[in-house]
Amino acid sequence: MIQPQTLLNVADNSGARELMCIRIIGASNRRYAHIGDVIVAVIKKAVPNTPLERSEVIRAVIVRTCKELKRENGMIIRYDDNAAVVIDQEGNPKGTRIFGAIARELRQLNFTKIISLAPEVL
Amino acid sequence: MALSTTLSLHGAGAGTLFGAELRQLGHDYFGVFKRPRKQIFCSCWNGSPFPYRNCLWRVPSVNNFHLKSMESSPLFAVGGEAEDGFLSNMNDETDDMYDELFKKYGNVVFKSNDQKPPSAEIDDDSESLSFAVSMAKVASDVKAADIRVLFVKPLVYWTRFFIIATAFSRPQIDAIGSRIRDLAEKKYGRSPSGDVKPNSWTLLDFGDVVIHIFLPQQRAFYNLEEFYGNATPVELPFENQRPF
Repeated sequence: MIQPQTLLNVADNSGARELMCIRIIGASNRRYAHIGDVIVAVIKKAVPNTPLERSEVIRAVIVRTCKELKRENGMIIRYDDNAAVVIDQEGNPKGTRIFGAIARELRQLNFTKIISLAPEVL
Repeated sequence: MALSTTLSLHGAGAGTLFGAELRQLGHDYFGVFKRPRKQIFCSCWNGSPFPYRNCLWRVPSVNNFHLKSMESSPLFAVGGEAEDGFLSNMNDETDDMYDELFKKYGNVVFKSNDQKPPSAEIDDDSESLSFAVSMAKVASDVKAADIRVLFVKPLVYWTRFFIIATAFSRPQIDAIGSRIRDLAEKKYGRSPSGDVKPNSWTLLDFGDVVIHIFLPQQRAFYNLEEFYGNATPVELPFENQRPF
């Protein structure tokens, strides 16, 4: 359940450290975003000397949420943190590697690039 | 102590086939001897990933990645094969133990329905291989350079083959993509998901075969070959244009 003002960790090596959601892309008046949704976010913390800087506005895909993700077979996945991966307008990730486990639902949502850079897919 | 070795071994090895069986056996065995259950967990946390994960998440063969260890070590896609050396030392002992357990409790254990016999699995693999090779051939017809076909099934569960190719311009990426789509549609009746427009990293996802077409710059940037360095490269039957 990510909404504007939510702080998220960054799960890639793009150089951003922490993001704040400012808008959910999709519908005009959507309240919450979940795994696989694209958000507009602002970088709150960044690693020095990297292409991304503080207070830059970027797009990101949510890859982990504290709110449970339910699957049809009854499986429930819940992570410890809210995390997102920074992408560009075309949908390519800005970083080259993803950290941590991510859910396979991203593949159905056409984020196979993120899946193929991830070390573990649940 | 011997028991705990068995369980942790099963977690580390590529023994997904026996995952469900052993879990059941483990329960019975511990039940009989009134061992504290705690011990199972401890033994599995030490060193090797714990076996329950296999059953819970149904992640065959990519189960040896710790979140913590990953942050400190260089990133790689690591598969079940990586721990073969460790396995081979213990094989004889554990085989005897399995035999003993099977004799005692019989072979009747529950299995998930989606498992296939090994022969069907091999058939599927060869089918995917022929598909992948013909796709790579098409890409080479449209002058894609440095085509690599990687067998990534031991590393990731979600696909079997990766095709990585370089194209030198967006129109060329478009040409390669549309040729591949046409052939897959005509000859195999399959259509990909993934990128529709040509992109600097265009990805075509056929399920068991995933095709990555890069511009040279992006290919160096993302460096997928290094990430999947443990995958087996597949020999291609045609002349492959090497990078300059």
